Amino acid sequence: MGSIEKIHEMLVSKECSCTELTKSYLDEIEKANGELNAYVNVTGDEALKTAEAVDKKIAAGEEIGMLEGVPMTLKDNISTKGIETTCCSKILTGYKPIYNATVWETLAGENAVMLGKTNMDEFAMGSSCETSYFGGAMNPFDSNYVSGGSSGGVASAVGANIAAYGLGSDTGGSIRQPASFCGIVGLKPTYGAVSRYGLIAYASSLDQIGPITKSVEDASIVFDAISKRDERDSTSKGFGGDTYSKLNNDIKGMKIGIAKEYLEGIRDDVKEAVLKAADIYKSMGAEIVYFDLPELKFALPVYYIIACAEASSNLGRYDGIRFGYKTEHYNGTHDMVCRTRSEGFGEEVKRRILLGTYVLSAGYYDAYYKKAQNLRGTIVKAFNNAFEKCDVILAPTVPMTAFEKGHAVSDPIETYLTDICTVPVNIAGLPGVSVPCGFNAKGMPIGMQLIGKSFGEAEILNAAYKYQQAAAENFKDTKWGVKL
Amino acid sequence: MVTREDVENIALLSKLFVPEEELDGLTKSMQEIIDFADTINNAPTDGEDFDDINNLSNVFREDVVVESYDTKEILSNAPEQAEDHFLVRNRE
Repeated sequence: MGSIEKIHEMLVSKECSCTELTKSYLDEIEKANGELNAYVNVTGDEALKTAEAVDKKIAAGEEIGMLEGVPMTLKDNISTKGIETTCCSKILTGYKPIYNATVWETLAGENAVMLGKTNMDEFAMGSSCETSYFGGAMNPFDSNYVSGGSSGGVASAVGANIAAYGLGSDTGGSIRQPASFCGIVGLKPTYGAVSRYGLIAYASSLDQIGPITKSVEDASIVFDAISKRDERDSTSKGFGGDTYSKLNNDIKGMKIGIAKEYLEGIRDDVKEAVLKAADIYKSMGAEIVYFDLPELKFALPVYYIIACAEASSNLGRYDGIRFGYKTEHYNGTHDMVCRTRSEGFGEEVKRRILLGTYVLSAGYYDAYYKKAQNLRGTIVKAFNNAFEKCDVILAPTVPMTAFEKGHAVSDPIETYLTDICTVPVNIAGLPGVSVPCGFNAKGMPIGMQLIGKSFGEAEILNAAYKYQQAAAENFKDTKWGVKL
Repeated sequence: MVTREDVENIALLSKLFVPEEELDGLTKSMQEIIDFADTINNAPTDGEDFDDINNLSNVFREDVVVESYDTKEILSNAPEQAEDHFLVRNRE
């Protein structure tokens, strides 16, 4: 049973009140956050107010929903009305959205208890959470290691049991990579499965919102709740999430594909753990199919060109006029905007804006942006072909385990390479779920990724659930937080 | 080849200032990233763009009048405002 169902049962059976539960989460945040830096803003008063409302309903004998009263968190790029939303950037300090993101409107409508907003790489640009204006969130398995990025704060909080679940966003791996580093589950849904209205944009053709949880059941429950059509995000399809009822289906005969290219340049301990998972699937009656996917070698440069191009446009709105930070001393409007942006954005964000502007500028547009869009088509077709040979693709989530503090900051290209296994899924708009599949010699978690066909969330979550049942020892708890 | 002048020009287009002492370092790191991006140059091009394959097209909707946000609410996040407008001064 996952954390969400467990909390639901505790509340319904009156084993504890929602207020008591919320208070213990807030106490544990207080104890852990100094070391982990998972939360950048704790909203205790609002959380307790919601908890009280849930308790009143329970006392009155009313039925409560599965997510009602469950303490959770949101990444700080998801808009929350009246609650500061900064993307962990200096340029948005003090910004309080005047509307809710659709995902939060949905969950708040179900009386989800939001404990606060969690840390992230500035504007979701990074792989270690260390580009955050507030400093990085640390790994609950060992706080000398990073939590991963960009949704590092959510992963750190969920891994440390100081939130039952959280929502992150994934543009090139930002849900799956920190989930892998922190030994938990992270689902990046199909492009169009979840509304991004109110998600502060990084790269609009790649961004998706999804759950970060302790178990596959939890990921499934949260995905089903947030996956629906929204008029305000015209890319949302509204096929509806119906994955929970399909968990625990027999996987006998399921074809699980392994692309050779996904195992190249991967650290030995990670490769071993992923291949061991393949053996477990085989013992459950699945068929393992090996094939080549040579187009994957273009995925990373294609990703950085497209993501940075879109970011350079999306981040044009920060001008010191309508919201957020504004420079103090200036001479003329151009000077004001330039100073505001130069002082407000961090180094990595500026680097990506400059790169994006470069690949879109006259003379370079065809060689970089247009070429990348064309190769994006090639990669989509390669995945389509691959899914004629198999039902689900098994791959590592990250070529390595969590790195030590300060390691990622030194070399941009080396840091970009950590995204090599996650970006193809965003480029092709596919769903992918990261699941813990072992530990390295130092006890740091290893993650594997199950990639599905477009809108194939039910299939990958079912495969992930089967694995979780067969290899429960890889879903280890940490010393922190609320023990349910 | 990314030059100092390129970086200065891109920075201007991006409305970012690059301090003189950071210019060489940034030019070098931009060159490294562009070299990395150049690895796609030898990739075969098959003439079918992403948009064609995924049958992507614009999404239209009826132009329906709906209630919008209150001016005061919208202005509540502005660093400076005056008389229901965003205030932009030419000088501090």
